[in-house]
Amino acid sequence: MSDAAEQDARAFFVDSRFEQLARRPGGVPREEALERARAMIEEIRPSFGEWLDGELKELSRVVEQNGPHGSNDPDWVNNAYTQCLRIRDVGTTMGYDLVTFVAGNLSEIFDAINSGTDYRADLIDCHIQALLLARQEQYRNLRPEQLPELSSGLRRVAEYAPRSNGHAARTENGSFHES
Amino acid sequence: MKDPTINLRDLLFVVADPNSYLCMIVHSMLRSFGANKVIEVRDSLGVVKALTGQKIDILLCDAKLPPHGGLKLTHAIRRNINNENRTVPILIMTGDTRATTIKTARDVGANMVAAKPMSPSSLYDRLAWIAFNPRQFIDTATYFGPDRRFKIEGYPSGVGRRKGDQEIVVGEDAGPALSQSEIDNLLNMARTGQD
Repeated sequence: MSDAAEQDARAFFVDSRFEQLARRPGGVPREEALERARAMIEEIRPSFGEWLDGELKELSRVVEQNGPHGSNDPDWVNNAYTQCLRIRDVGTTMGYDLVTFVAGNLSEIFDAINSGTDYRADLIDCHIQALLLARQEQYRNLRPEQLPELSSGLRRVAEYAPRSNGHAARTENGSFHES
Repeated sequence: MKDPTINLRDLLFVVADPNSYLCMIVHSMLRSFGANKVIEVRDSLGVVKALTGQKIDILLCDAKLPPHGGLKLTHAIRRNINNENRTVPILIMTGDTRATTIKTARDVGANMVAAKPMSPSSLYDRLAWIAFNPRQFIDTATYFGPDRRFKIEGYPSGVGRRKGDQEIVVGEDAGPALSQSEIDNLLNMARTGQD
Protein backbone atom coordinates (compact mmCIF):
# COMPACT_ATOMS: atom_id res chain seq x y z
CA MET A 1 0.00 0.00 0.00
CA SER A 2 1.21 3.50 -0.74
CA ASP A 3 2.05 5.91 2.05
CA ALA A 4 -0.86 8.12 0.99
CA ALA A 5 -3.33 5.28 1.18
CA GLU A 6 -2.07 4.16 4.55
CA GLN A 7 -2.24 7.74 5.84
CA ASP A 8 -5.96 7.78 4.96
CA ALA A 9 -6.48 4.62 6.92
CA ARG A 10 -8.33 4.28 10.18
CA ALA A 11 -5.77 3.58 12.85
CA PHE A 12 -6.54 2.35 16.34
CA PHE A 13 -4.79 0.68 19.21
CA VAL A 14 -5.71 -2.80 20.34
CA ASP A 15 -4.29 -3.65 23.71
CA SER A 16 -4.83 -7.36 23.25
CA ARG A 17 -5.27 -9.78 26.11
CA PHE A 18 -2.02 -11.39 25.02
CA GLU A 19 -0.13 -8.13 25.38
CA GLN A 20 -1.79 -7.28 28.68
CA LEU A 21 -1.29 -10.66 30.33
CA ALA A 22 2.13 -11.40 28.88
CA ARG A 23 3.46 -8.20 30.44
CA ARG A 24 2.28 -9.17 33.91
CA PRO A 25 4.99 -9.71 36.46
CA GLY A 26 5.62 -13.27 37.58
CA GLY A 27 6.52 -14.93 34.28
CA VAL A 28 9.34 -17.37 33.68
CA PRO A 29 12.57 -15.40 33.16
CA ARG A 30 14.07 -15.86 29.71
CA GLU A 31 17.13 -17.88 30.68
CA GLU A 32 15.15 -20.18 32.93
CA ALA A 33 12.49 -20.61 30.23
CA LEU A 34 15.10 -21.52 27.63
CA GLU A 35 16.81 -23.95 29.98
CA ARG A 36 13.49 -25.66 30.67
CA ALA A 37 12.70 -25.81 26.96
CA ARG A 38 16.03 -27.40 26.17
CA ALA A 39 15.43 -30.00 28.89
CA MET A 40 11.99 -30.68 27.44
CA ILE A 41 13.47 -31.22 23.98
CA GLU A 42 15.92 -33.71 25.48
CA GLU A 43 12.94 -35.63 26.86
CA ILE A 44 11.33 -35.73 23.42
CA ARG A 45 14.54 -36.69 21.61
CA PRO A 46 14.20 -40.50 21.96
CA SER A 47 11.00 -40.43 19.90
CA PHE A 48 12.70 -38.70 16.99
CA GLY A 49 13.92 -41.96 15.37
CA GLU A 50 10.42 -43.38 15.22
CA TRP A 51 9.05 -40.16 13.74
CA LEU A 52 11.88 -40.00 11.20
CA ASP A 53 11.28 -43.62 10.16
CA GLY A 54 7.68 -42.77 9.36
CA GLU A 55 8.66 -39.68 7.37
CA LEU A 56 11.32 -41.54 5.37
CA LYS A 57 8.97 -44.39 4.61
CA GLU A 58 6.40 -41.94 3.32
CA LEU A 59 8.97 -39.97 1.31
CA SER A 60 10.31 -43.17 -0.28
CA ARG A 61 6.80 -44.28 -1.14
CA VAL A 62 5.89 -40.94 -2.70
CA VAL A 63 9.06 -40.83 -4.79
CA GLU A 64 8.74 -44.43 -5.89
CA GLN A 65 5.12 -43.97 -6.82
CA ASN A 66 5.45 -40.65 -8.65
CA GLY A 67 9.02 -40.11 -9.71
CA PRO A 68 10.21 -42.60 -12.29
CA HIS A 69 7.06 -43.11 -14.31
CA GLY A 70 5.23 -39.85 -14.03
CA SER A 71 2.38 -38.90 -11.80
CA ASN A 72 -1.21 -37.85 -11.86
CA ASP A 73 -0.55 -35.70 -8.84
CA PRO A 74 0.73 -32.30 -10.00
CA ASP A 75 1.62 -31.36 -6.42
CA TRP A 76 3.77 -34.30 -5.54
CA VAL A 77 7.12 -32.54 -6.02
CA ASN A 78 5.97 -29.64 -3.88
CA ASN A 79 4.72 -32.07 -1.25
CA ALA A 80 8.04 -33.92 -1.29
CA TYR A 81 9.82 -30.57 -0.96
CA THR A 82 7.68 -29.67 2.05
CA GLN A 83 8.32 -33.05 3.61
CA CYS A 84 12.08 -32.59 3.25
CA LEU A 85 11.81 -29.17 4.90
CA ARG A 86 9.88 -30.78 7.72
CA ILE A 87 12.60 -33.40 8.26
CA ARG A 88 15.25 -30.69 8.06
CA ASP A 89 13.44 -28.46 10.55
CA VAL A 90 12.75 -31.10 13.15
CA GLY A 91 16.23 -32.57 12.66
CA THR A 92 17.74 -29.17 13.41
CA THR A 93 15.67 -28.61 16.51
CA MET A 94 16.53 -32.09 17.78
CA GLY A 95 20.22 -31.61 17.01
CA TYR A 96 20.66 -34.24 14.28
CA ASP A 97 23.03 -32.41 11.98
CA LEU A 98 23.57 -35.12 9.39
CA VAL A 99 19.86 -35.72 8.90
CA THR A 100 19.37 -31.95 8.65
CA PHE A 101 22.12 -31.62 6.08
CA VAL A 102 20.87 -34.40 3.80
CA ALA A 103 17.22 -33.36 4.06
CA GLY A 104 18.18 -29.74 3.34
CA ASN A 105 20.13 -30.83 0.27
CA LEU A 106 17.24 -32.92 -0.98
CA SER A 107 14.77 -30.07 -0.42
CA GLU A 108 16.94 -27.87 -2.66
CA ILE A 109 16.80 -30.50 -5.38
CA PHE A 110 13.01 -30.74 -5.18
CA ASP A 111 12.79 -26.95 -5.14
CA ALA A 112 14.88 -26.83 -8.32
CA ILE A 113 12.68 -29.47 -9.95
CA ASN A 114 9.67 -27.38 -9.00
CA SER A 115 11.29 -24.50 -10.85
CA GLY A 116 11.75 -26.55 -14.01
CA THR A 117 15.03 -28.37 -13.58
CA ASP A 118 15.24 -31.93 -14.93
CA TYR A 119 14.07 -34.72 -12.69
CA ARG A 120 16.98 -37.02 -11.94
CA ALA A 121 15.97 -40.21 -10.20
CA ASP A 122 19.56 -41.06 -9.30
CA LEU A 123 20.01 -37.80 -7.38
CA ILE A 124 16.83 -38.36 -5.42
CA ASP A 125 17.65 -41.99 -4.71
CA CYS A 126 21.13 -41.30 -3.42
CA HIS A 127 19.76 -38.70 -1.03
CA ILE A 128 17.08 -41.03 0.25
CA GLN A 129 19.72 -43.69 0.78
CA ALA A 130 21.84 -41.12 2.63
CA LEU A 131 18.87 -40.24 4.83
CA LEU A 132 18.33 -43.92 5.64
CA LEU A 133 21.99 -44.13 6.57
CA ALA A 134 21.90 -40.93 8.60
CA ARG A 135 18.97 -42.15 10.70
CA GLN A 136 20.94 -45.19 11.90
CA GLU A 137 22.15 -45.11 15.47
CA GLN A 138 25.86 -45.02 14.62
CA TYR A 139 25.48 -42.08 12.20
CA ARG A 140 22.67 -40.12 13.79
CA ASN A 141 24.84 -38.04 16.08
CA LEU A 142 27.53 -37.29 13.51
CA ARG A 143 27.99 -33.96 11.81
CA PRO A 144 28.45 -33.67 8.02
CA GLU A 145 32.10 -32.71 8.44
CA GLN A 146 32.70 -36.02 10.20
CA LEU A 147 31.71 -37.80 6.99
CA PRO A 148 33.53 -35.67 4.43
CA GLU A 149 33.19 -38.07 1.49
CA LEU A 150 29.47 -38.44 1.91
CA SER A 151 28.77 -34.77 2.53
CA SER A 152 30.99 -33.41 -0.23
CA GLY A 153 29.52 -35.96 -2.64
CA LEU A 154 25.98 -34.92 -1.78
CA ARG A 155 26.93 -31.25 -2.03
CA ARG A 156 28.26 -31.79 -5.54
CA VAL A 157 25.14 -33.70 -6.49
CA ALA A 158 22.87 -30.96 -5.13
CA GLU A 159 24.81 -28.34 -7.04
CA TYR A 160 23.81 -30.11 -10.22
CA ALA A 161 20.19 -29.16 -9.82
CA PRO A 162 20.37 -25.35 -10.02
CA ARG A 163 22.89 -25.57 -12.88
CA SER A 164 20.63 -27.62 -15.08
CA ASN A 165 19.08 -25.60 -17.89
CA GLY A 166 15.70 -27.11 -17.11
CA HIS A 167 14.29 -27.38 -20.60
CA ALA A 168 13.27 -30.96 -20.01
CA ALA A 169 10.74 -30.06 -17.43
CA ARG A 170 7.45 -31.53 -16.49
CA THR A 171 5.14 -32.93 -19.12
CA GLU A 172 1.44 -32.27 -19.13
CA ASN A 173 0.62 -35.34 -17.07
CA GLY A 174 3.01 -34.32 -14.34
CA SER A 175 5.79 -36.73 -15.27
CA PHE A 176 9.37 -35.77 -15.98
CA HIS A 177 11.82 -36.49 -18.72
CA GLU A 178 14.89 -38.03 -17.21
CA SER A 179 18.21 -36.92 -18.55
CA MET B 1 14.14 -3.48 26.99
CA LYS B 2 16.76 -6.13 27.60
CA ASP B 3 15.62 -9.72 28.10
CA PRO B 4 12.02 -8.97 29.04
CA THR B 5 10.20 -11.67 30.97
CA ILE B 6 6.83 -12.75 29.61
CA ASN B 7 4.08 -14.28 31.66
CA LEU B 8 2.14 -16.77 29.53
CA ARG B 9 -0.01 -18.28 32.27
CA ASP B 10 -3.73 -18.45 31.41
CA LEU B 11 -3.19 -17.23 27.86
CA LEU B 12 -4.87 -19.43 25.26
CA PHE B 13 -2.46 -20.47 22.51
CA VAL B 14 -3.48 -22.16 19.28
CA VAL B 15 -0.62 -23.94 17.49
CA ALA B 16 -1.59 -24.81 13.92
CA ASP B 17 0.79 -27.06 12.00
CA PRO B 18 0.17 -30.18 9.91
CA ASN B 19 3.28 -31.76 11.39
CA SER B 20 2.23 -33.36 14.67
CA TYR B 21 5.82 -33.79 15.81
CA LEU B 22 6.66 -30.14 15.26
CA CYS B 23 3.43 -29.17 16.99
CA MET B 24 4.49 -31.24 19.97
CA ILE B 25 7.87 -29.52 20.06
CA VAL B 26 6.33 -26.03 19.93
CA HIS B 27 3.74 -27.07 22.51
CA SER B 28 6.52 -28.30 24.81
CA MET B 29 8.45 -25.07 24.39
CA LEU B 30 5.39 -23.02 25.29
CA ARG B 31 4.81 -25.15 28.40
CA SER B 32 8.43 -24.57 29.35
CA PHE B 33 7.85 -20.84 29.03
CA GLY B 34 4.94 -21.05 31.48
CA ALA B 35 1.96 -21.46 29.14
CA ASN B 36 -0.75 -23.73 30.52
CA LYS B 37 -3.40 -23.49 27.82
CA VAL B 38 -2.29 -24.74 24.40
CA ILE B 39 -4.52 -26.15 21.68
CA GLU B 40 -2.95 -28.02 18.76
CA VAL B 41 -4.68 -28.17 15.39
CA ARG B 42 -3.57 -29.66 12.09
CA ASP B 43 -5.43 -27.62 9.49
CA SER B 44 -7.43 -24.47 8.79
CA LEU B 45 -10.67 -26.12 9.78
CA GLY B 46 -9.15 -26.84 13.18
CA VAL B 47 -8.23 -23.16 13.52
CA VAL B 48 -11.73 -22.06 12.53
CA LYS B 49 -13.21 -24.44 15.12
CA ALA B 50 -10.82 -23.11 17.76
CA LEU B 51 -11.77 -19.54 16.90
CA THR B 52 -15.48 -20.26 17.10
CA GLY B 53 -17.14 -19.53 20.37
CA GLN B 54 -14.04 -18.60 22.30
CA LYS B 55 -11.48 -15.85 22.35
CA ILE B 56 -8.01 -17.11 21.72
CA ASP B 57 -5.04 -15.02 22.76
CA ILE B 58 -2.48 -15.84 20.08
CA LEU B 59 -2.27 -18.00 16.96
CA LEU B 60 0.96 -19.68 15.90
CA CYS B 61 0.31 -20.81 12.36
CA ASP B 62 2.33 -22.70 9.75
CA ALA B 63 2.59 -20.81 6.47
CA LYS B 64 1.64 -23.97 4.56
CA LEU B 65 -1.22 -25.04 6.78
CA PRO B 66 -3.57 -27.25 4.74
CA PRO B 67 -5.60 -26.88 2.73
CA HIS B 68 -4.99 -23.31 1.53
CA GLY B 69 -2.01 -22.17 3.59
CA GLY B 70 -1.62 -20.15 6.76
CA LEU B 71 -1.21 -16.89 4.88
CA LYS B 72 -4.64 -17.14 3.27
CA LEU B 73 -6.06 -18.11 6.62
CA THR B 74 -4.47 -15.05 8.23
CA HIS B 75 -5.93 -12.88 5.50
CA ALA B 76 -9.38 -14.41 6.04
CA ILE B 77 -9.21 -13.86 9.81
CA ARG B 78 -8.19 -10.21 9.36
CA ARG B 79 -10.79 -9.45 6.69
CA ASN B 80 -13.77 -11.01 8.47
CA ILE B 81 -15.46 -8.10 10.23
CA ASN B 82 -17.68 -10.49 12.21
CA ASN B 83 -14.76 -12.39 13.68
CA GLU B 84 -14.20 -11.53 17.32
CA ASN B 85 -10.64 -12.82 16.97
CA ARG B 86 -9.94 -10.44 14.11
CA THR B 87 -7.18 -8.61 15.96
CA VAL B 88 -5.61 -11.66 17.58
CA PRO B 89 -1.81 -11.66 17.37
CA ILE B 90 -0.69 -14.07 14.64
CA LEU B 91 2.80 -15.49 14.41
CA ILE B 92 3.54 -17.25 11.12
CA MET B 93 5.99 -20.17 11.25
CA THR B 94 7.66 -20.98 7.95
CA GLY B 95 10.44 -23.06 6.49
CA ASP B 96 10.14 -21.07 3.28
CA THR B 97 12.02 -17.91 4.12
CA ARG B 98 12.17 -16.31 0.69
CA ALA B 99 11.54 -12.58 0.70
CA THR B 100 8.29 -12.94 -1.20
CA THR B 101 6.83 -15.23 1.48
CA ILE B 102 7.83 -12.90 4.30
CA LYS B 103 6.40 -9.87 2.51
CA THR B 104 3.16 -11.73 1.85
CA ALA B 105 2.94 -12.71 5.51
CA ARG B 106 3.32 -9.08 6.49
CA ASP B 107 0.81 -7.90 3.91
CA VAL B 108 -1.92 -10.32 5.00
CA GLY B 109 -1.64 -8.99 8.55
CA ALA B 110 0.71 -11.30 10.42
CA ASN B 111 2.30 -9.74 13.50
CA MET B 112 5.51 -11.71 13.22
CA VAL B 113 7.24 -14.36 11.16
CA ALA B 114 9.44 -17.02 12.74
CA ALA B 115 11.74 -19.08 10.55
CA LYS B 116 11.69 -22.82 11.00
CA PRO B 117 13.49 -24.52 12.57
CA MET B 118 12.49 -22.58 15.64
CA SER B 119 14.77 -22.62 18.58
CA PRO B 120 13.47 -21.95 22.10
CA SER B 121 15.17 -18.53 22.09
CA SER B 122 13.72 -17.62 18.71
CA LEU B 123 10.19 -18.40 19.90
CA TYR B 124 10.54 -16.75 23.30
CA ASP B 125 12.00 -13.57 21.83
CA ARG B 126 9.27 -13.22 19.23
CA LEU B 127 6.53 -13.67 21.80
CA ALA B 128 8.25 -11.05 23.95
CA TRP B 129 8.48 -8.74 20.98
CA ILE B 130 4.76 -8.98 20.32
CA ALA B 131 3.98 -8.42 24.02
CA PHE B 132 6.26 -5.45 24.57
CA ASN B 133 5.96 -3.70 21.21
CA PRO B 134 2.24 -3.06 20.77
CA ARG B 135 1.35 -1.71 17.35
CA GLN B 136 -1.72 0.12 16.25
CA PHE B 137 -4.04 -1.59 13.80
CA ILE B 138 -4.66 -0.19 10.36
CA ASP B 139 -8.02 -0.58 8.63
CA THR B 140 -8.24 0.30 4.95
CA ALA B 141 -10.10 -1.05 1.95
CA THR B 142 -7.19 -3.30 1.10
CA TYR B 143 -5.50 -4.03 4.40
CA PHE B 144 -6.46 -4.87 7.94
CA GLY B 145 -3.73 -5.69 10.40
CA PRO B 146 -0.90 -4.39 12.52
CA ASP B 147 0.69 -1.19 11.23
CA ARG B 148 3.41 -2.25 8.82
CA ARG B 149 5.25 0.99 9.46
CA PHE B 150 5.64 0.54 13.18
CA LYS B 151 8.44 2.25 14.97
CA ILE B 152 11.04 -0.02 16.48
CA GLU B 153 11.64 0.89 20.08
CA GLY B 154 14.09 -1.91 20.63
CA TYR B 155 14.50 -5.55 19.84
CA PRO B 156 14.39 -8.33 22.34
CA SER B 157 17.67 -10.08 22.81
CA GLY B 158 18.56 -12.46 20.03
CA VAL B 159 17.09 -10.09 17.44
CA GLY B 160 20.02 -7.78 17.26
CA ARG B 161 19.60 -4.67 15.21
CA ARG B 162 22.59 -4.14 13.01
CA LYS B 163 24.12 -1.03 11.63
CA GLY B 164 23.34 -2.03 8.05
CA ASP B 165 19.66 -2.88 8.63
CA GLN B 166 18.39 0.10 6.67
CA GLU B 167 20.36 -0.78 3.57
CA ILE B 168 18.90 -4.16 2.71
CA VAL B 169 17.21 -4.17 -0.66
CA VAL B 170 13.98 -6.10 -0.96
CA GLY B 171 14.47 -8.96 -3.38
CA GLU B 172 12.54 -9.98 -6.44
CA ASP B 173 9.42 -12.09 -6.18
CA ALA B 174 11.47 -15.18 -5.55
CA GLY B 175 14.87 -15.36 -4.07
CA PRO B 176 17.20 -16.98 -1.63
CA ALA B 177 16.18 -17.98 1.85
CA LEU B 178 16.50 -15.28 4.49
CA SER B 179 17.87 -15.59 7.97
CA GLN B 180 15.65 -14.82 10.94
CA SER B 181 17.22 -11.40 11.43
CA GLU B 182 16.71 -10.59 7.76
CA ILE B 183 13.08 -11.64 8.12
CA ASP B 184 12.70 -9.31 11.09
CA ASN B 185 14.26 -6.51 9.06
CA LEU B 186 12.01 -7.10 6.09
CA LEU B 187 8.94 -6.95 8.31
CA ASN B 188 10.02 -3.51 9.40
CA MET B 189 11.22 -2.04 6.16
CA ALA B 190 8.07 -0.19 5.23
CA ARG B 191 8.61 2.36 7.93
CA THR B 192 11.72 3.60 6.17
CA GLY B 193 10.02 3.80 2.82
CA GLN B 194 12.10 1.04 1.31
CA ASP B 195 9.16 -1.20 0.51
